[in-house]
Order: sequence, then structure tokens, then C-alpha cells
Amino acid sequence: MNSTRADDTIVKEITIRAPAERIFEALTDPEQRLKWWGAEGQYRGTQMESDLRPGGKWLTRGIGRGGKAFNVSGEYREIDRPHVLAFTWLPDWEKDAPESLVRFDLKERDGITTVRLTHSGLTSESSRAHHQGWPQVLAWLQAYAEG
Amino acid sequence: MVTERRKQSEAVFRALADPTRRDILAVLRRGRHSVGDIASHFRTSRPAISKHLRLLRSAGLVVSRKQGTARICELNAKPLRAVNDWLADYEAFWNESLRGLKRYVEEEQ
Repeated sequence: MNSTRADDTIVKEITIRAPAERIFEALTDPEQRLKWWGAEGQYRGTQMESDLRPGGKWLTRGIGRGGKAFNVSGEYREIDRPHVLAFTWLPDWEKDAPESLVRFDLKERDGITTVRLTHSGLTSESSRAHHQGWPQVLAWLQAYAEG
Repeated sequence: MVTERRKQSEAVFRALADPTRRDILAVLRRGRHSVGDIASHFRTSRPAISKHLRLLRSAGLVVSRKQGTARICELNAKPLRAVNDWLADYEAFWNESLRGLKRYVEEEQ
């Protein structure tokens, strides 16, 4: 798996031996999504509601570390089956975190699909204000952590 | 995904969400300053700057001590580590989820 991290964005790519349509289904069908979403032994989804259309809402409930309940919700922003799926991400455990955006890009070739995940806007309000403050803050952090 | 350090990072995020507070940190990055000194960099009123400094102190990003009649402020970047940890948690989450997706879809083929 390739991954990069720039300022407030996480990008990950994984190759899956399956057609894009099959993966798109696993991403969007609530029953299927609960089967792979999360991290074993740490947190898992228990319930998902999904209104799959642009502007439609989604919500996943789950159990986290120590058996604590959590939920993540959002709104679908872009649906281009089976190529693009984008939705906003609002976790209930981060009161002041800004709304971030999760995007899956699927590229199929000979039955093998490259899935690229982009989670952006994670630490910034930049989507609204285009502020340059965050890259600076993270650069400081790096300097201090390494110093 | 709910951990203590998330709570800590929430205070840091709240402190950093404001552009004036980020500018204050930028001033302090260049060295220690008195509250009056810091305020002179801004058009905002001094009470407003003091309020921002209180919030930065409560998030642990600024430490201050009295020197005569002045209050000297200093940057403490350590809590910013919480931001990094927070991102690291998301990295772990997506790593696991994408591996889970691959396993799930490929095993079904």
C-alpha cells in the first residue's frame, strides 16, 4: 500500500484483484461495508444507514476501544458509479474538529482495480478560509519532534 | 477511536482554529515576548489578545511567567504532537480498513 501525507490530507492507494463495480458495491452497500470497515480488535461498525445519492446522508454506529459506542456521519457529495465516491466525515467524538472529506477513486484495468483513498481537510478550516496557518503549524511540530 | 489524547487534541484544535491565535504563535516562535509586546503586533485590543493568550495557555501551547509588572510569554510546541498523533490514528484506521476491503472483496471472488 502506498501512502502519503501532506499537511492535512491522507492519501492511500491499494490494488484489489476485483472489478471496480464489485468494490463500489462493497463501499456503498451498508451490509457489506460493515464487514470490512474498521480495525479488528479496536473498533468495528455495528449499524449503517445510507441514502446513496448526492446530498443524501449516511451514518455508521460502532463500538470502539473499551466497548465505547461511537458514530460517524456525513453527506454524500459525489457519486459516479463505479469510479468516484465522495462523502463528508463528521465523527461524534471530536467536538470541534472541522468537517473533513473522504473520497474514493477507483480505476479498473483488466479486472484489477486501484483504489485511491483521499481524506482531506483533516486538520484545517482551509476548505472554507484557505488559511495558510496549518502547514506552518505542522512544520513547527515536525521541527520540534525531530529537534 | 475514542482516546484520551483525542480530548487533549481537541483543546489544541480549538486553540489553533483561530487565525489571530495562530499569528500569536508565529510571533512567539521568534522568541519570548511580554503581553504588551505581542499586542503591539495586532490591531486587536489588548484585552482581546489577553483572552486569546488565556486560551492558548489552557491548551498548553503558551507558558508564561511574571517578570516585574510584565507577563512574559513563551511558545510550548509540545502539545502539537497531539495533532500528529491524531493524524496517525486516521492513518491506522484507513490502513486497516483498506486491507479489510481488499480481503473481503478478493476472498469473495
